[in-house]
Amino acid sequence: MTMTRRTVLAAAAMAAGLGMAQAQEPIKIGAINPYSGPLAQYGDEATRGFELGVEAINAAGGIGGRKLVIVRGDAGNPQQGIAAVEKLVSQDKVDLFMGTYISAVANAASDAAARHGKIYFEAMALASDLTERGLPNFIRGGPNATHFAERSVQAMVEFIAPKLNKKPSELKVWIEHEDTIYGTSIAQVQKRLLEAAGAKVVGVGSHNFRAIDLNDAILRASNAQPDIWVGTGYVPDNTLLLRTMRDQGFKPPVAMLLGTGDSADFREALGDFMDGVFVVGYPHADLSEAFAPGAAAFVQTYKAKYNRDPVAPQSLSAFTEMMILRDLLTAAGGTDMQKVRAAAAATDKPLKTYTNGYGVKFDEKMQNQRAIPNMVQWQAGKTVTVFPTDAAMAGTTLVNIPRAK
Amino acid sequence: MTAVSMPALASSRPRPPALAASVGWHLLFLLAVGLPIPLLAADSYWTDVVTMTYLFAGLSCAWNIIGGLGGQFSLGHGVFFAVGAYTTARLYLVAGLSPWLSLPLAAALGVAIALLVSWPTFRLRGPFFAIATMAVNEVGLVLANFMEPLTGGPQGLLIPFRAGFANMIFAERWQSAVLMFGYMSCAVIATLLVRRARLGHYLIAVHANEDAAEAAGVNVLRTKLAGMAISAALTAVGGSLFVMYIRVIDPPNLFSLPEVGVKFALIALIGGIGTVVGPVLGAFVIIPLESWLRGALGDLTPGGHVIVLGIVLILAARFFKQGVYGKAQQLRRSWAARGSAP
Amino acid sequence: MNTFLNVLLSGLLLGGIYALVSLGLNLIFGVVRIVNFAQGEFIMVAMYATYACFFFFGMSPYVAVFIIAPGMFLFGIIVQRLLLQPLRDEPLMQVFTTFGLLILMQNVVLAITRGEGKSVAVAASRTVIDLGIMKANAGRVIIFIVTAAIAGALLAFLRYSHAGKVIRAVIQDRDAARLMGINVELTYLLVFGLGAALAGVAGSLLAPIYTLQPQIGGNFILAAFAVVVLGGMGSVAGAYIGGLAVGIVESFAGYYVDPALKQAIWFLIFIAVLVVRPSGLFGRKGTEELGLRQH
Repeated sequence: MTMTRRTVLAAAAMAAGLGMAQAQEPIKIGAINPYSGPLAQYGDEATRGFELGVEAINAAGGIGGRKLVIVRGDAGNPQQGIAAVEKLVSQDKVDLFMGTYISAVANAASDAAARHGKIYFEAMALASDLTERGLPNFIRGGPNATHFAERSVQAMVEFIAPKLNKKPSELKVWIEHEDTIYGTSIAQVQKRLLEAAGAKVVGVGSHNFRAIDLNDAILRASNAQPDIWVGTGYVPDNTLLLRTMRDQGFKPPVAMLLGTGDSADFREALGDFMDGVFVVGYPHADLSEAFAPGAAAFVQTYKAKYNRDPVAPQSLSAFTEMMILRDLLTAAGGTDMQKVRAAAAATDKPLKTYTNGYGVKFDEKMQNQRAIPNMVQWQAGKTVTVFPTDAAMAGTTLVNIPRAK
Repeated sequence: MTAVSMPALASSRPRPPALAASVGWHLLFLLAVGLPIPLLAADSYWTDVVTMTYLFAGLSCAWNIIGGLGGQFSLGHGVFFAVGAYTTARLYLVAGLSPWLSLPLAAALGVAIALLVSWPTFRLRGPFFAIATMAVNEVGLVLANFMEPLTGGPQGLLIPFRAGFANMIFAERWQSAVLMFGYMSCAVIATLLVRRARLGHYLIAVHANEDAAEAAGVNVLRTKLAGMAISAALTAVGGSLFVMYIRVIDPPNLFSLPEVGVKFALIALIGGIGTVVGPVLGAFVIIPLESWLRGALGDLTPGGHVIVLGIVLILAARFFKQGVYGKAQQLRRSWAARGSAP
Repeated sequence: MNTFLNVLLSGLLLGGIYALVSLGLNLIFGVVRIVNFAQGEFIMVAMYATYACFFFFGMSPYVAVFIIAPGMFLFGIIVQRLLLQPLRDEPLMQVFTTFGLLILMQNVVLAITRGEGKSVAVAASRTVIDLGIMKANAGRVIIFIVTAAIAGALLAFLRYSHAGKVIRAVIQDRDAARLMGINVELTYLLVFGLGAALAGVAGSLLAPIYTLQPQIGGNFILAAFAVVVLGGMGSVAGAYIGGLAVGIVESFAGYYVDPALKQAIWFLIFIAVLVVRPSGLFGRKGTEELGLRQH
């Protein structure tokens, strides 16, 4: 008797649930990132950006009346990436994926998502070959390693060389990079582009980002007497390189970092030695409102929720990517892989549309061509966006170029 | 002579059962371990977990031949794993060679590298050997980064998804699970055969006391090298299967100490080092637990689930001193003793 | 010539760091016969403790070390008593436990700090001392001097004090020591504590010159293992000189060969040395044959 009643009740509940599901069932987004291990900080920070984006979208009524929900999937290596996707698909029933602070994870996870016919919208992973695979579900809304390298070389040639009173062909550049795919691929593109611009690459040095001593790397660079020293790495090695530079008294006229170097931990580590250092990375929030509508508001929201400034600029970009995804899903009318892909192909938004200055135009490999990093300079303990010049606030100047201290 | 009673020794003391009976029991065990495949086939997540469990069970069995039976606590098996992975992936990408055909090559290369690095390191014993093999693993990592034409360098190698039996790439995860199950079964049977062969007795003798074994006429170096060769061959095959399943490899992941080199040993330790089925039991404890914790707690706080895993490991060491297998034996014995009492 | 001396000197300073990190590991390894995988994490925790003293109380690391080293001594004793001593007949499970400790400590710190890089920006971390041939960071010079002093003190302690003689007796033959009425378990307890205290000293002195991350311990420890084996188990002089040697080799390999290959080069040298002299440069011949187990 009770059994029967319970069964009936359950059936009724299910029927009601189904009816409601049609109108209100949320869109579930699996966020694949490292939430443990050495890169947890960035995985977490990116996901904070996703979550703030979701809150903003839900507050405005969601997408077609459906709210968004983020479900985190922790992955620090490719096999964990696969497991995370399978779990999110089979247990959490997510509709699509976003990611990923580690390229190798992005690779395996998006491949696994493709088997389930789910979109994998990439916001963070940089490896250029991710979009070369021809996966039907893979759309990269964020920049790739080439964009970072291009922006850094563009800044050197167009922006920094004149400040040093040099022609691009007179520039001498030392390229330093950490030795995983991330640093290596960026360094390769930098070298190619610099040489194409006529500049002289006086040396390329690679190091392990876990090294506890980098005197050799700085000594080699110092002997080559470059005008510009540019280093791509993670937090431990980039801070160690700069510490070593300070200890050895190596003063290249221009020091530039790429990827990391623009977060508070660098100021904490190096104090006013950071003054004048350029950092090419994800756009910071101190952008002119014309360049990046809503960037300032984002920082306010972040502060209100987490009671501090953003840990790293990744959160602003992640937030922006969520807005891009919103527009793609709205245009596609849902999360169907083919429709989203078609919507992505049809979308054309100029630069300066989104919160961090991005626009949207996907090439045929589904790589966004209008997600481009910016360059900041450390000035009196703060990062100030200086390049491209139209992104910078009015009245922005440079400090400590060429480096005097 | 050691004061430590290793399960391997404990169980070798009574007269071993007849070959047929022993093989029969182990086949039954394998059959039981294989049950999750049909039961979970519909759930791609747990099928993936089980697939990795079989693979790591097999890899841990492979490690166990030299690390458990032979008592040579290698932490450098990541090298053989990587050699297998690179060999198979490279030949597949460059020559289109079916991974099935490259398995013997991978195994042979694994053996060659194993002999090369083991000849010097086998001069060392105990922790010295363990640390030296850890160093070998680091050298392997640096060289893999450096030898770009072979390994793809830091970029790694990427194998496109082209499902097909000849490619050893499967559209359905349960098919991969079957493959890994087969691998694990081979590793278990190989362990069983080694245990029963003269080599197994020599390995156990070397494990117990090298000097005594030497004095008794065992060629210690040759015994260790033979054990290492078999172990490395199986590990290289495991690396090959791994790469065709994951289809993206790079040096930091292949040579990761916590995820590869140390893990093989940990699994064997928790299951029951030196026993035939211990590594399988260990894998069935560790891999699903790890995956479950990652899924259940991964979003709680950074590193939260690994904290729990660390506590579990420490408690396991404290309360399962002889591994799961040893604990099970102990329970069985005390149960039998109680049962026979009036 | 100038460059050569520069490379030599920075190698020596790096060697000081390796030696400092290796001393505690070697003591534990040599006396208690435990391969303490978590030694790097002991150092990492001490670094963060130093940071906490600096951040909350404005305490200099060179003062904090006098709190942190005793604190780590206590911590080491607790670990040895509660976790490792019950496993004294299961040396492999001890290894297993230290590995569990490693991932536990790493991730507890990760959970607390969210992995953000922390720095102890005291004057020593940015002061540069002119050594004539090259300029060097004051923090590194301090490490070099303190490490030499600690190594000397340890050597004297082991040679001349009663406790030191007890420890040496245990190193040489623990069973005979036991028969002589030495409380071997207590010796283990104190030596493990001492090893942890040395990790505490290392953590405090290293904190100013690095950016702290939960994984940083592992960066030191692989080299330290090599140093310990190279120098010889239980040999203080071995750990010290082995540390300097590895530092110098790394420095030269990095500058004159290729920074990308420097690790491979000194690991290969390490393996080669072991083949020629398995007991390490300063080890008592035959110690390498003791193995993990008691004899």
